[in-house]
Amino acid sequence: MNAHFLSSKEKKELFTQLNEQFGINEIASLLLETGKEKIRAFSGALSKEELLDLAQLVNIEIIGLYIVRKEHDIRLSFDATQLLNKQLKKNIVDITDEQLALWIRGHDLETAGPRGTVIIRHGSDFFGCGKSTGERIINHVPKERRIRK
Amino acid sequence: MSQQERVRKEYKYSMKPLFEQRMRSLLPEEKDFAAFEKIVHTQPKNFIRCNTLKISPPILFERLAKRWKVKQPFPDYPEIILIDQDLGPGELGNALEHILGYYYVQEVSSMMPSLALNPRPNEKILDLCAAPGSKTSQIAAKMENTGILIANDFKMNRIRILAATLERSGVSNTVITRNDAITVCSRLAKRNFKFDKILLDAPCSGEGTLRSSPKTFLMWNPKMVDNLSRMQKKLIAFALKVLKKGGTIVYSTCTHAPEENEGVIDFALKNFPVRAESLSLPLNCRSGITSWQSEEYNPDVKRTCRIYPQDNDSEGFFVSKMTLLEDIKEDIKA
Repeated sequence: MNAHFLSSKEKKELFTQLNEQFGINEIASLLLETGKEKIRAFSGALSKEELLDLAQLVNIEIIGLYIVRKEHDIRLSFDATQLLNKQLKKNIVDITDEQLALWIRGHDLETAGPRGTVIIRHGSDFFGCGKSTGERIINHVPKERRIRK
Repeated sequence: MSQQERVRKEYKYSMKPLFEQRMRSLLPEEKDFAAFEKIVHTQPKNFIRCNTLKISPPILFERLAKRWKVKQPFPDYPEIILIDQDLGPGELGNALEHILGYYYVQEVSSMMPSLALNPRPNEKILDLCAAPGSKTSQIAAKMENTGILIANDFKMNRIRILAATLERSGVSNTVITRNDAITVCSRLAKRNFKFDKILLDAPCSGEGTLRSSPKTFLMWNPKMVDNLSRMQKKLIAFALKVLKKGGTIVYSTCTHAPEENEGVIDFALKNFPVRAESLSLPLNCRSGITSWQSEEYNPDVKRTCRIYPQDNDSEGFFVSKMTLLEDIKEDIKA
């Protein structure tokens, strides 16, 4: 198992950043970092020690759900924007029906907004994150979650 | 393409003589067999399952009703939704609600094993042959992302599909393991790592999937049934080693072959301290059969459930549920 469990200090740093960027205060899960600076949340009833013990017995491939990617700022995964939607307060860009049709097919959006990573919302639905230059939002919808036509 | 055209297209496949003979033995009334033969050449209905980790069934239903003719055929299971109309290719998969993971496209009979398992929050559950993850995600939703769910499969390409399903469904209480099922059970049993509930949805000859996978008509052969039956008995023997006393195991397949169904349950009843439980499922079930060819099975196999496509306008399935009455010692060999 190639994973690093976040220490208290690392968690504190992550939540400071999550709060600054999106207003998120808590994720009630065990957090672990796997390849490519991806952070996963595990809500199961096993402690870090029990998971490590389990990894001695069987070949563990994946634990929990991918929620965050740490780059120079923080990007929430497509599913994390939905599961944490009640906590999201900052850097949300509301899009129109026409913009949604482009966004969900993988196109960037020509629209003004705050610079940096933003969350895309249409009505009550959340559609992941994009990187805003202030005038354009670069699409980060994973290929497997796009409409293919 | 209309439903009628699709039916005609599928008729290019026909039953192999031995398969037909076996099905006629299982369905001795001519009318019953004729109904089976007719329906397996038609496409199954479009069922979806609401992913309650992301959205509630009434809200999803209301959204979908604006686009399609939808029904909730089972009042006790509002998460099961039928799209009661013909759909274009990719229409279900390309809908926004699917992209968002609000629903999972799943044939209704394949939802039955997880309903039989009746997962609850905070339980410790093992899904031994988990890929592609339809039942795993159904179990996780019933567990409300709590407890612990270990989802195992053997091949890396299947693990990738499983992981993608769980990701889309927002499942966070799961550990995905890649081992052969026997190894995973042996190793966990040695450390006394036991589960409240186990789903063993075993690899099978797929006779129940003729409607969605007509190539099964061509692939079916009796040797495969015998080989699978031997493997399934081994799987259930090892799975029982990691079940807690008083725990529940659901054994299911998507086939009609008695060797892979009642034959496996009979083996478990004869060799392990288990009790076959009656099932209450929202589909029409026929009781398990107690004899097949030269074999006589334990009469309790009648408590298992045979789901035939002609009884429910579904795919075919077999579902059984057993309780472990005594702990199984680690050294018992299959």
